[in-house]
Formats: sequence, structure tokens, C-alpha cells
Amino acid sequence: MSVMDDPAAPAHGLSARQMALYRFRRNPLAVIGALIVISVILAAIFAPWIAPSPESAGSFVDFRNRHSPPNWQNLMGTDNVGRDVFSRVIFGYRVSLGLVVWVLGVAVPFGIVLGLCAGYFGGWTETIIMRFTDIMLALPPLAMALAITAVLSPNLINAMIAITLLWWTWHTRLIYRIVKGQMNEDYVEAARVAGASHMHILFRELLPNCFSAVAVKISLDAGFVILFGASLSFLGLGVQPPTPDLGTMVATGSEYLPEMWWQAVMPGLAILYAILGFNLLGDGLRDMLDVEL
Amino acid sequence: MFTYLFKRAFTLLFVLLGLAVLIFVIARIVPGDPARIALGPLATAEQVTKLQNEMGLNDPYPVQLWTYLSGLVQGDLGKSLLTSRPVMDDIMGALPATFELVLFTVVLQILISIPLGVIAAIYRNTWIDSVLRVISLLGVVTPGFVLAIILQLIAAHYLGFFPVTGRIDPGIGFSAEITGLLTIDGLIAGRFDVVIDALRHLFLPAIALAAAGIGQVMRITRTAMIEVSSRDFVEASRAYGIPERVVTFRYMLRVASVAPLTILGLEFASLIGNAFIVEFVFSWPGIASYGVRTILQKDLNAVIGVVLVSGVFFVVANLAIDLLLGILDPRHRIRAGRGS
Amino acid sequence: MSRLLDIRDLCIGFDAYGQHRRVLHNVDLHVNEGERVSLIGQSGSGKTVTMRTIIGTLPMPPGKVEQGSIHYNGQSLLDLNKQDRNRLKGTGISIVLQDPMLSFNPVLTIGRQMDDVIRYGDMRLGISRARTERRAHMIETLKKVQLTDGNRVLDSYPMMLSGGMRQRVLIGMALLNKPRLLIADEPGTALDVTTQDEILALLNRLVAEEGLSLLLITHNLGVVREMADRVYVMERGHIVETGTRDEIFDAPKHAYTRQLMAAVPPLYGAGVKTTRHEGTHPIINVNAVTKTFETRSGWLNRVTGNFRAVSNVSLTVQQGDIFGIAGESGSGKTTLAKIIMGLTKPSLGAVQIDGRLLDGFAGTQDFRKLIQIVYQNPGSSLNPRRTVGDQLAVPLKFTGFDKTATKRRISELLDLVELPQNYAAMYPHELSGGQKQRVAIARALSVNPKILVLDEPTSALDVLVQSTVIDLLHDLRREFDLTYVFISHDLSLMRNFCNRVAVMLRGEVVETGPVAEIFDTPQHPYTRALLSAIPVISPEEDARKPKVSKEERAAVLATSTELEDT
Repeated sequence: MSVMDDPAAPAHGLSARQMALYRFRRNPLAVIGALIVISVILAAIFAPWIAPSPESAGSFVDFRNRHSPPNWQNLMGTDNVGRDVFSRVIFGYRVSLGLVVWVLGVAVPFGIVLGLCAGYFGGWTETIIMRFTDIMLALPPLAMALAITAVLSPNLINAMIAITLLWWTWHTRLIYRIVKGQMNEDYVEAARVAGASHMHILFRELLPNCFSAVAVKISLDAGFVILFGASLSFLGLGVQPPTPDLGTMVATGSEYLPEMWWQAVMPGLAILYAILGFNLLGDGLRDMLDVEL
Repeated sequence: MFTYLFKRAFTLLFVLLGLAVLIFVIARIVPGDPARIALGPLATAEQVTKLQNEMGLNDPYPVQLWTYLSGLVQGDLGKSLLTSRPVMDDIMGALPATFELVLFTVVLQILISIPLGVIAAIYRNTWIDSVLRVISLLGVVTPGFVLAIILQLIAAHYLGFFPVTGRIDPGIGFSAEITGLLTIDGLIAGRFDVVIDALRHLFLPAIALAAAGIGQVMRITRTAMIEVSSRDFVEASRAYGIPERVVTFRYMLRVASVAPLTILGLEFASLIGNAFIVEFVFSWPGIASYGVRTILQKDLNAVIGVVLVSGVFFVVANLAIDLLLGILDPRHRIRAGRGS
Repeated sequence: MSRLLDIRDLCIGFDAYGQHRRVLHNVDLHVNEGERVSLIGQSGSGKTVTMRTIIGTLPMPPGKVEQGSIHYNGQSLLDLNKQDRNRLKGTGISIVLQDPMLSFNPVLTIGRQMDDVIRYGDMRLGISRARTERRAHMIETLKKVQLTDGNRVLDSYPMMLSGGMRQRVLIGMALLNKPRLLIADEPGTALDVTTQDEILALLNRLVAEEGLSLLLITHNLGVVREMADRVYVMERGHIVETGTRDEIFDAPKHAYTRQLMAAVPPLYGAGVKTTRHEGTHPIINVNAVTKTFETRSGWLNRVTGNFRAVSNVSLTVQQGDIFGIAGESGSGKTTLAKIIMGLTKPSLGAVQIDGRLLDGFAGTQDFRKLIQIVYQNPGSSLNPRRTVGDQLAVPLKFTGFDKTATKRRISELLDLVELPQNYAAMYPHELSGGQKQRVAIARALSVNPKILVLDEPTSALDVLVQSTVIDLLHDLRREFDLTYVFISHDLSLMRNFCNRVAVMLRGEVVETGPVAEIFDTPQHPYTRALLSAIPVISPEEDARKPKVSKEERAAVLATSTELEDT
């Protein structure tokens, strides 16, 4: 029951869009999240122009300047061969975001289509897709990604493939649940009575009702894909040196703990910063669009 | 209730079978010859053929699948190339360590996240809620390996009370032989020094492993409590004069705990996955570190074994949660008993 | 007479979305000792806010009492400290909430919930009773609400009881701690009319026997007439009129009250409008149709039983008819509608539309151009994420309209249902309930069908809006020579809208005929019971309702006091 008898939007003289925007703006954390995400994306796109020392992204070596703690020249210090950690972090975002775009770009549409079909057609389609999803969900994702990458030989492309193979399941489950709920609504039957084709119902009627949930999920997912990729490379099974990758940097840097802490902690914080941004944004969207995942 | 139990167990058995077949298929689909991968690029063709024959890789797939499945039923997972011992023995040796860690982690998650989630819901939109929200957020967004390293750093170098590697101080001289769990066996044997030492060792890895789940479950508990608080029966209970404390804990929490528990079950696979990182960092002698080592060595039999056991873990954990939900919520029981 | 509850000059506001909005304006309302008072208003009028403020469950903030006072038994409720305020809950003032399903905690047994109410009530009063004593008290209270099998009820979970039983238990729950004032929010509204009738009778008896005062909150004028000594009429947060029941019903003064009265379709008397139509050309032929659903249970989901939703039904609808199918929930009327629409296949029997058998015909373009449906709840039948224009275009797109023709037709359709052209770009949530239903009607009409199946098209709407939609349907029928199949549980509305009716009970048609015949001389005991249970708004209607004895009623209807064996 709502607070008022009739919580209808017109009573406030505000449209639903205005109310959603109001909720977003009143949520400072969401705005911070959006700003963080924008900064990470800009850093990734303009890395060669922003990074103070673009040559640090490769196998550049400067032994005179190795292990130097954070200072004005090297905001996050330098690593074991004298490369600027800050520059490597910025280039690291490139790799991370590339991973996000690839993984979500492939896994999300795939997951959505399967979820739509399972929820809409029911019967055997539903049983096969959902049982398969259930089984996939029982596998520990990180372990599976590790195993697949290890066997395929560890590099960025294979890490992408491994993560993509696992990632669609969550979207299938989410979409399936939403569609199952929507199937109780009369508009699906109304469309059928109006003569609409299956394609029309799936993609024009049902899909728009999944958008908010997918938007929130993608935003939260982006952070977790970054985390996932970094975890893989932390264990030596993702991006290979000298490509700058945040997980690899933490792993290498952790050998110099605790004295030269910045080499592990700075990239670690950089990962945290990006994930935090996507999470805050996702949470903000969730409140704004009023969806439950 | 019995119908319900049977049904659940039946479904889970099915999931397990599917899991086994799926892992087999993945292992065979993945390009590359397992024997060649195992022996490395320097091996001769004869060596590879010999190993292929030993591993049964030249049999037709259905035969291979049958050999593999019937081996599974008898608890035979083949031999590990890394340790040259049966994979089953390796896993059984490492399982208690992981089980203890995971159990401790889940208990920690439930004990911390649900009460904090309830508090956040009660004091929603106040500073208490904001503080808890930041805590839950930090838990969710801090990568497991970063947290593990930070914890190691702080604990080892500044506090010193919590050991940063292993399960128990090797000088203590105790072997857990009943359940394999040091804390439980220590209690049974009356060796409190063992229990305390084991708990000290458990603490940091468990925190590192629990953080993500704590953040998430806290958030979901909060949302569920707020959602339940707007239901009619809560208003009715208040209007009948039932004290707020009772309304919150008996009436609301019981209904609201379904969502966080379900999530806990679903996220169990991720938890096991993260254990790979945490065990690796803390040199925890469990199946996950065994898994990482065998994965790095491309020891296929062992990898299959580890993944399969992780799947069993997931399935059993979800069965346990289902039973718990059945106790908490009669609708769950009745609905599941009736079928879809 | 002393005032038990006395509300003076109450103003309440809400802060939402950075704006402040006042929802109650200078409300004056009182309930005397032993009096039955009704607060009547449509949704959004502020009646629920009033109730919540009285019982102290209005969330503040965002709610805020801006001025005014509430006195209960001489104590100022708004000034009491929390402890004293809580002491009154359940023991001084108690409530019966609207929805008997949602008002129980689904995971606790009835007994557990009732026990808590007694225990904490006792605690505040400083009494302590043993568990067995409390149980005895519960069983005794359940007897008061005519539930004799107390032990079984107490051990049940809410979901195991029927709606009527839950409503009874809910009333019992409110009475456990012997309150002096009972506030009932739309009692029985969520139930079938025959069950509602029982519940209202029960409430009336309890008020008399227990010496209670009653504040009844409702939107239904008929209920008010049966339940109130005095009436307040609320419109948009204002009390617009007050008086004794007879004053209000015989001579309503305020325009809004008069409007409300006029919008209630009369069951009998001079105000009744009879739709006359004698069709000669049958357009729908339902021939001995039966629909059986399998019930499954146990492990492996075996079929364990059959449930007949529709049982051997034969009907003929003439071209131009407004054919009513009346029945309560579970009577099979919606299943029958779906069979006619070709959405559900009958297990036995056949349906012919315009002379053609449904097999192979249903779902074709010709079929869609012949028959369309309007659903009960436009909130559900319109896709919330598509604009009005997009939704109107769907049937057109699949019957071969091109882009320009579609556009032109959409604009015609909006005109037909009297909506402004710019609504095509709006989303459903920007529209009111009545406007949404107009869109749904426009969509059904888009490909010029000859028949519309109307599945309770007005039951989700307020009574004032209902009458405008009904007028629209009349106009459209005249203009396009339409045939309607009108499915409803609202017999008063059917009396004024349909020309023929069929009454359904548990899947069977028990009576069918011209509307005047069925209502004036109902033959089947169920039809008689149904008609007699309708709360009406004038003594004349009351007098002309069929009189049904208890025995006659019991022969066709189970009372809501029996536990189902499931």
C-alpha cells in the first residue's frame, strides 16, 4: 500500500521521468558514481594523451628511476623497472574497459535472447534453457575461467572468451524471471489477440520491459567484469606482460610489499575506484528506475 | 514435507549429472590434446600416443563418457599428473580445509550481514544507514585479492596476532582425524589451543572471502525489509499493538530473510570461485589452491575433479538453504511440494 | 451521547519529490459511543490517510499533521506519549484491513498470530494468562465470527483458508483485545458479493452484541446504507457532506454526493435503464462446451485430479446483443470468454462465430477482424513501456495497414474514444484509469471488429469513471452496430447495460434469458441468492430484491465458515 491513497504521478504535477530524475539527483552517491565512470572511460579513451609517460605502457625500462615512491613526477610511484605506475594504470583501464565492452557486448544479448525465449515459449524450450543455465550457475565462475584460459593458453583474448562463456547465464536468469512475471500481464495476450508475431511480442512488447533491469545489471556487471579480469591476471592467467593490466600489476607489485607498497596498492585502488564507480552508478539507476534484480 | 525433500534431492541429482556431463563436454571441446598439453612441447610422438591410450583418449566419445561417469560413481577421478596420486585422494585430503574455510565464511556472512541489513532498514535514510551503506559498498567493490593483500599487510606487519599463511601453527602437533575440521576436532579432543590457533588462522582468509557476500546480502536484506515493512500485515500487527521489536524480528525478518538466503545460495558458486584467490594468497591448503596449482600445470584430471567437487559444494549448499527456506516459509514447502 | 472518537480541523500534508502537498483539509469527524459511522470516498480521497492517522500507523515523515486534533475517549491521541499511545492499539481502537490475504503474515500460523495479539495486549494491561487460557479465548473469539472448528483454523497457515474465512479470522483478530472502537477498511470488498453480504451481516451483529462503535471506510454506497447510522462524504481530502444515513440517501445536498448516487446503477425501480434489442441473426454459438483442467501434485507432478472450469455450456448470442455473463470468482466466466476468443481450446463441444467453427479459424486475420477483447485491468493489458500510439498500431500492423494508413487510423481511433490526439505519444502511466481503458477499447476497435468481448471492463475503475466508460460503449455500439459479450460480477451494472444475461455458477450456466425477466423473476435459487446479496442504495430496491431464506441459500452456496478439504 502506498503512503497516499493514490500515488499517481499527475497528483504531483510531475511526470515519471521527472520523478526518476529527481530521485537520481537527490542521490549524491549516484552522481559521484556517474562522475567516476565518466572519468574512467575518458582516461581509457584518451590514455596516450593523458598519461604523463605513455612509453611506460610498454616494455620501457628506466633502472635509475625504479622503486621510486609517489612524488610529483610519478603520482603513483614507479615499478620494479622504473615505469610510471600512474601511466600504466591509465593504460590498464583501456584493457579493463575493452574487456567489459567485449564480454558484455557478446554475453548480454545472448543471455537476453535465451531468457526471453525461455520465459515466453515455456515448455521444452524453457526446460532445456533453464536447466542448462542452472547447471552453468553451479560452476564456480572464477575456477572455470581459470581452467578454460589455462587450457587455451593464457592471454587477453582467451580470458575474454572464457569470461563471456560464463557471463550470459546471469542475464538469462534475470530476463527469464522478468518475462515470467510479465507473462501474467494481459498485454502479452492482448498482443497475441491483435495478431502480433512471436518476434514482435518478444522484442517489441517484452524486451522494453526488461530494459531498466538490464541497464542496472550492465552497470553493476561492468565493475564485476573488471574485477574478474583482474583476478585472472592476478593469478597469471589473463593479460600477459608487458601489456599494462591492473591485476598483473598488483600481482607483481605484491612481491615488493610492504616497503614498496605503492606498486601493489595503487593499481589495487585503481581497480577499486573503477568498480566503485560502476556500482554506485548501478545502485543509483536501481533506485531511480525502481527495479529489483 | 517428504515429497518436498524428495523433489529437491531429485532435481539436485539431475543437476549433478548434468554438471558431470557438461564438464566432460567442455574438457573435450576445448581445443588441444590433453595428453600433449600434459606432456609439454618437448615430448615425442610415442610418449603422447602412449599417454593418450592410458587416458583412453582414443576411445569413441560415448565410451569415454561412460568410463568417466562410471568412474565418478565409484569415486574414481583418474590420476593427477601433478602429484601422480589419484585425484580423489588429493581432493579428499584438501577438502576439509576448504570446507572449514567456507563454512566459517558463510556463518560470518549470515551473522554480520543480516543484522546489519536489518539495522540499515530500521534506520533507513539516517546517518546510520549511510555508514552501513558505505561499509556494504566497500565490501562489494573491493577485489578479493586486493583485500587479501591489504589484510595480510595490516595484520602481519602491524598487528601480528593473525597468522597470514596456513591453517595451523606447524609446531602445535595435531592432526584432525574425525571430521577433518580443526576447530571441531580440536573441540572434540579438548585441545583448546588447537581451536584458538585454528580460528586465528581462519580469521583473515574468511574475512577476505566473506566481504563481497556481506556487502551484497546486507543490501538485499535492507531492501527486503523495507519492502516487507510496507505490507499490510505489518501495519495490521502494529495496529493490534504488537511491539515494534516483535514486529521487526518475528513478523518482518522471517518473511524478508527469504531473499538474502536465496542470494546466498546462488552466490555460493562465486564464493567457491573467490576461494581460489583467497586460498592462493593465504597459502591455505584447500582444494582451491590445489585447483590453482593443477590449472597452472594443465593437469586436466585434477581440474575436472576440482570443478566437479565445487559443483557438488554448490548443490549441497543450495539444498541446505532450500531446507532452511522450507522451515522459514511454509509457502515454499507447499509450493515446491505441489510442483511448478 | 459522548464522543468516543473526535477529530477536529485535521490537516495532513506530505512531502514527496521535493514538493509539499496537503492531502487532508480541515477534517471534522466524530464517532459517538455505540454508533456506526461511515466515511465514504473514491480512491485518492484521503480516507485511508485518515484511518492511518487515527490508528497511528501513518509514516511521519513524509506525512505531517499540520493542525487539528484527534481525541479518543477524551485523550488527545496526537499528544500522548508513545507508551500510552501503544496501550490503546488493539485494546482501545482496533482495525480490520481491506485485504484479508495481505493482512496476515504468510509464514506464521493463524494461532501464532492471534496469540501474539493477546499476549502483547495483556502485557500492556499488566495481565498474564496461561497459554491454554489464551487458546481458549482465541477459540471463543473465533466462535463469535462463526468459525466453529477453531482448533483447525488456529493450526492453519493463512494461505490454507478461503477468502471469506480469512476475513472472518481478521475480524476476530481485531476483537481479541476487546476494543471499543473498530475501524473497518472496505470490509468484504475483495470478496464475492455473497460472501461480502455475510461479512457485513456479521459485522453488524458484532457491533450490536459487543457494544462496539464502528468507523467504516468504503467507496461502496450500498455498503454504507446497510452499515451506517451516520455518514461522512469525502472528496479530495475535504469532508463535503455529513448527516444521518437517511438524510444523505434521501436528500443529498452536495453536488458530489448527488453525482456519486447518480453514478450507481440501480438494481430496481424507475431509474433502471433497460437495453432493448431483439436479434434475429445468431453471431456466436456456444455448443455444449466443457473445459477441464488437470490438477497435478505429488512428486513427478502426476495428474491427480480434474477441475471443470466450464461444464456443458450452451449459449447463443444474437447480432447486436449486449450479452452478459454473470458470475462470481471461480464461476468459469473468464474461461468461457477465452474459449470464445479462441485463446483456450475447449475439452468438449464447439464454438461457432459468425457461422464458422473456431478450429482453424481462430487466430486468422479474418477472425481478428471479427472479434476482439477488452480486458479487465488496462494497467495490465496495456504495455507500460510502449506509447499509446505504438500499442494502437499493433493490430493494424498485422492486418496489413501501411505507415500512413496506420497513422490516420490511430488519429481516428483517438477521436472515437474521445481522447486528445497528443495522447498517442504518451505512456500508459501518464494516463488515468479511465483514459487507459479508453485506449484499450480503441485498440480492440482498431480493425473494425463486429464483436467485442468485454471482460469486466469497468471493475478496476471508480464508479464515476465507470459510468462515462459505459456511455462510451453504448455510443460505439450504436455507431458501429457492435455485438458485446459482457463479463461481470456486478449485477446492478448488467441490469442497466445488457439486454440478455446468463448466470454462471461453478462452471455451469444456471439461468439465461432477457435481462428484465432474470432480474424481476429469477428462477434459480443461486440467481436469487446473488441478487439478494447486492447492497443497494434505496429502500425501494431493497424491497424488490428477492427474499431468500437461509435454507434456500445454503442449498446452493457454501458459507464462508467451512474449511475446505484440500
